[in-house]
Formats: sequence, structure tokens, C-alpha cells
Amino acid sequence: MNLSSELKRGITASAITDILATSRDNARIHNGVTDQVARGLKEVTGLLRGPQRVVPVIQKLVSDKIRLTLEQRHLYSYTTTKRDSKDVLQSLLQWIIEAQRSDGGIAAYYSLLAGYSKSYPEVTGYIIPTLYEVARVTKSDNAVVAAEKATRWLLSLQMSTGSFPRGLDGETQPSVFNTGQILQGLVRADRETHRCEIRDAAIAAGSWLVEMHQADGSWSGRGAYQGAAHTYYSMVSWALAELSEHTAEHRYGQAAERNLDWVLPHFRPSGWIDGINLSGHPNYLHFIAYVLQGVLECALLRRRKDAVEAVAKSAWVLMRKFETSKFLPGAYEPDFKRGHSFACLTGNAQMSCIWLRLFEVTGDPRYLNAALKMNEMLKQIIPSNGRPGIGGGVCGSYPVWGRYQPLRYISWGCKFLADALLMEQRLTHAFDAYGFEASRCAS
Amino acid sequence: MRIVVLGSSVYSETACAMAVRLAECGHVPVGALVLSTLERGTLLRKLAQWGVRDVTRYARRKLIPNYGNAQGMVHNSYLRPLLKNGSGIFRSLREVAAFYGFPVVVGKNQNAPDSIARVRQWSPDLIVFTGGNILRKALLDVPRLGVLNVHLGLLPEIRGMSSPEWSLLKGVSVGVTIHYLDAGIDTGPILQRYEFTDAARCDSLTDLRNRLIAFGVEKIGEVVASLDRGAITAILQADHDTDNDTDKDNQFFVMHEWLRARAAERLAQSRIGAVAERMHG
Repeated sequence: MNLSSELKRGITASAITDILATSRDNARIHNGVTDQVARGLKEVTGLLRGPQRVVPVIQKLVSDKIRLTLEQRHLYSYTTTKRDSKDVLQSLLQWIIEAQRSDGGIAAYYSLLAGYSKSYPEVTGYIIPTLYEVARVTKSDNAVVAAEKATRWLLSLQMSTGSFPRGLDGETQPSVFNTGQILQGLVRADRETHRCEIRDAAIAAGSWLVEMHQADGSWSGRGAYQGAAHTYYSMVSWALAELSEHTAEHRYGQAAERNLDWVLPHFRPSGWIDGINLSGHPNYLHFIAYVLQGVLECALLRRRKDAVEAVAKSAWVLMRKFETSKFLPGAYEPDFKRGHSFACLTGNAQMSCIWLRLFEVTGDPRYLNAALKMNEMLKQIIPSNGRPGIGGGVCGSYPVWGRYQPLRYISWGCKFLADALLMEQRLTHAFDAYGFEASRCAS
Repeated sequence: MRIVVLGSSVYSETACAMAVRLAECGHVPVGALVLSTLERGTLLRKLAQWGVRDVTRYARRKLIPNYGNAQGMVHNSYLRPLLKNGSGIFRSLREVAAFYGFPVVVGKNQNAPDSIARVRQWSPDLIVFTGGNILRKALLDVPRLGVLNVHLGLLPEIRGMSSPEWSLLKGVSVGVTIHYLDAGIDTGPILQRYEFTDAARCDSLTDLRNRLIAFGVEKIGEVVASLDRGAITAILQADHDTDNDTDKDNQFFVMHEWLRARAAERLAQSRIGAVAERMHG
């Protein structure tokens, strides 16, 4: 009785408040205040339009509450494998395929209140490499078909400037970050299919990004979120570095390095990174991990040892925090001083990718050890079955009413967890074949 | 020398063996402070570390008088010579304490003010740590000389958890280090390092760990005797990084079972190598 009344009064109320708060923040940030609030209200009132979603909402709230109450984390947590990675990978793929809309785009999320969102260009773009990678490992034709449909849809959205729009399907303002994220997908799609129109689209997108680049190496002003420069746009430089390698065009690589040179001074001695710069939002782990992942991958492509070392330092700080408490807060105060009480599951999966990559680069098995545990934790949290949108999905937050994407299963969470599991599979095979010192040379 | 033993439970075999070893060397402890056996954190850790079956078996051996034969009452068979008590076995620290005549205090937290006050009453020159909480400065400052710990790895190369397993995986020598505890994790001054040359004889990681524990207990007698004679000086760990959050050099964490399996393979390979060497040599 206590639990149900708490759920009614506390959890649901706080989740709805969070959604409204997020909506309010977004509304202030963007100009379309009314539009954003309307969207928030539409989601909150989603249960009235879809009463079949009432039971799953309650189930999820109750199960997370029970899990939180009974959970006992200690030094030995997540050291044994309870769910097979291959099965989880399959269910993640299934979730993504079910989230693919009829237009070919992937929905941003499945809301427990309002169901699937519209197609989301940004995620549709950077989910393409994941789909091809899953297809390569699992020999899944479905994944290839999904990647091709997604690519076709993205090509139809590209603007005459080469840029891609921000937000969900229907927006018309160009976005630097989304164009960078989509560029990752286009480069991979071109590698797989060798189709001229995809290559041309990738080059046009890359050229627009170079054109929008500021003299200091950042992206700000028109096309940048809130008009400000952000260090997590290192993800854009990663895409440009990929394009440079793919096309052998140096100017893209040079632009990527200029951005690296702008980002690196933002790393503090504590490992903290300044300049995430999202007004009205806390420093979510998702964005911290974006900075690290973008810098790391770009640095590896451009052979920038200084940048790899900067990332390794921050990644070590977070790894130590995870190993000692078996939990990474979903958002941090500067210098990692204070963390929020919820977990950002996407950020966790991204950290796993970063640790695995650092294991591959440095040969230090402690990174692999932490990633194996992180993956185990995530595998245990995601539902193994359930209706489309839920089964195999990755929530924004744990518990589900946490501040990051409350009451939503998000497609980029599935993408990053699939990436982490694919990388785990590849590197553990390399470890067995060559040992950890040699595995980096081998891979 | 006045010595206090700290343990994770009155049923801790390592704490019992350590107290016996010290007594045999002429240093009967002046007291022992152990954690409550039913402390939730310790129980959960043990369950995760050993599994339900082993914990149940251990509890049966310790709690049920005359359960099985005396030999079967010992979990770590390499400690059996120290735990032998006539025709029987010391099953708990209380039995050891009754035999040698020293008090045992049970607390919920070794860092709690009442625990510290109790230890202070014993005026120890030395504390020997065999398990329990991560010790805070207030307790570390109580003994005249310091708090001794037996670390199951060679410091400063391998600090932290799962040390024998990490040593095998990284291909560094297996051994134990007797050192003073400080505020860091295994960063305190080193008194003595001992390489363990019998690793190739071990038939499993558990066997290796058990042998290392017994090896450490045996060696602590030597170190305490040297300290008593003033014949030994602690050496600071030169590469100790004072920045706690970025001290990445040699800090290791509990090993995931996938890597443990690889460490076990390395152990098996060294065993095969040793057998082959004996056959050809």
C-alpha cells in the first residue's frame, strides 16, 4: 500500500514534473516556447490517448522502485556474467528495427506515456554504423535493410547547403551537430555500398561543416545549439576525420584537428572538461562521454597522442569512480565533485565504449575489466522482453523517473549499448587470440 | 610488543591463524577487534566472492560444534597447522583468545569512536590488520608504530583488489608484501616483500590465494620479530601519487570472471611448464 501510494504521489509526480521541467528548459532555450510546452503536455497527456500504456508505465515504475530498494552494490557487483551478450545484442537490434518508422527514420524514443516519437534524423544517422556492424557480426539481413532504409530517408532530408536539420522530423533549421552525427552514418553507408549519391551527400555535409567552422576551431553561432560553442562537438570532428580518411581530402582532417586544438585546453587537471555549455541542463554523463569519445576517436584517426592522453586521464577518473561505487551518477558538478542520484544509461554505455577503446589502444586490461562490469550492469537493467518499444530497450535514466529523458526508452541508448557489446565481443576474441599486449596491434 | 589484531569476523580463519602465529612468536595479542559476523556488507561481499554454497558450508563448519571431523572444519587447509588445538581445531577467535588469554571485542565498524576508544585502551605498539573496514586516519594514528597489513601482491607493482589474479594476468611475480597502512589503498610504507615461488604448484586460483594467505601469516612472524629488534625500516613507496583521484599507476580492482578465467589459464600454463621442467631437468 505504501509503495503504490508513493508511486502515485511521488514517482509519477516527479516524473511528470521532470518532463514539464525539461519542456520548460527546452522552451526557454529554443524560441518556440509554446511549441515546446505543447509537446511536453502532449506527452504527459499521452496516457489519455493510449490507455493501453497504463499497465507498462506502472510495471516499470514498480520494478525500478523494487530494484532500487533491494539493490546492494559492492566491490564484487557485476563480476559474473548473468546475461549473454549475444542475446542482448539481438534484442537491441530488434528494438531498433521496431523503432524504424515507415519513412525509414528511427524514432528518437518510445515514451511510456505517449508511445513512439517521430523519426529523428541525428540518431538515424549515427545508428547506421551500428546497424552495419551488427549485420557483419550476426549476419543479419534485417540490419542491412534497416541501414539502407535509414540512409535513403536521410538523403531526402539533406538541404541544398549540404546540412541536415535539427530536432525531430519536420524541422528546417540547419544543425552542425546533427550534420556531424549524420555524416558518420553517410561515411559508413558509402563504405558499405559505394553509391555515388551517398558519397556526394557526405562530401556536401562535410564541406558545409568546414564552411561553418569558426576561426578559433569551434562551431558557434548559426547552426550551433543555443548559438554557443560546445566541447561535445568533438563528435563532429570525429565525423570529419572519418570523412578525411575515407575520401583522402585533407581539409576535413585539418578542420577536425583545429577543433581538437580548441577542445583540449578545456580539459582540467582533475579530468573534468569545461565548455559542455548547455544552458538550462545539468552536465549529463551523456555529454561528458560525447566529448571524450569524439576527442578519442578523432585523435586516433589523426594520430594525436596528446589528445588520447587527455581522454585517458578523464576516463580513468570515471573508471575509478565506477569501480569503487559500481555506479556513475547521471550528471556531475564541475570537477566531478557532486553527482546526481540517477544513472544516465546511455552515458554508461558510452563510457564502456571509451574504456574498451582505451584497452585496445593502451593494452591496459583494467579498462576491459571495467567495461565488462559496466556492460553486465546494463544488460541486467534492460528488459529482456516486453511489448515493442519496451522489450530490449534502454531507458534514458535509471530509475526510469530520473532527470535524463524520464519515462522514455531512447534509441541512442540502444545504439551505444550495442556498440559496447560489439566492441566487447571483438576485443575479447582478440585477447584470446593474441593476449592483451598484442591485441591492440592485432586489432 | 603490544599488538592488537583486527579481523572481519570472529570466525575469520586468517584472524585466528594470525593471532596464533603472533602468540607462537612470543607476542600474544593484547586484544582483538572484529566486525559483527552478521554485518550485512560483509555477508553480501562474502556471498558474491564465494557463492552461497561455500558460505553455507563455511558457516556450518564454524557454527555447528563437532560438525564433521576436525580436519574438515578448516576452509583454508594451509592454515590448519596453526589452527590445530590439541586434537581439535580453533573454530573462532574467541577460542584462540580463551586459550591465550586476551579479550575479543565485536563491533559494527572498526572506525567508530567506541571501537577506537577500545583499541586506545589497549595502548598498542602495533595493529595487525587481517580484514574489516577501510581504516580511517583516527584509527591508523592509534598504534605507536602503525597498522600492519599483509597484501597478497608485490607492492608497489600491484595495488588493490584481486592482486594474485592481476599478477598472473600481467605476468609479474606473485608474492606478498607486509606494509603499513596509510590513507591510500596499499600505498603505505613497505616493510618486506616476499616472492612466492610455489605458484606453479597451485591447482586453482583459490588454491593460490589460500597458499598466499598462509605464506603471509607465516612471514608476519618474521617481520614482527624484526620490528621488535629494531632491525627493519619501512621504505616509502617511491611512486606513490598523492593525488587520490588520478593515482592510476598500480591500482587494480576486483576482477571480472571473464578475466579471472584467463588468469586461471596462465596459472595452469605455469603448472604445465613447471612439470615439464621437472621432467626434463
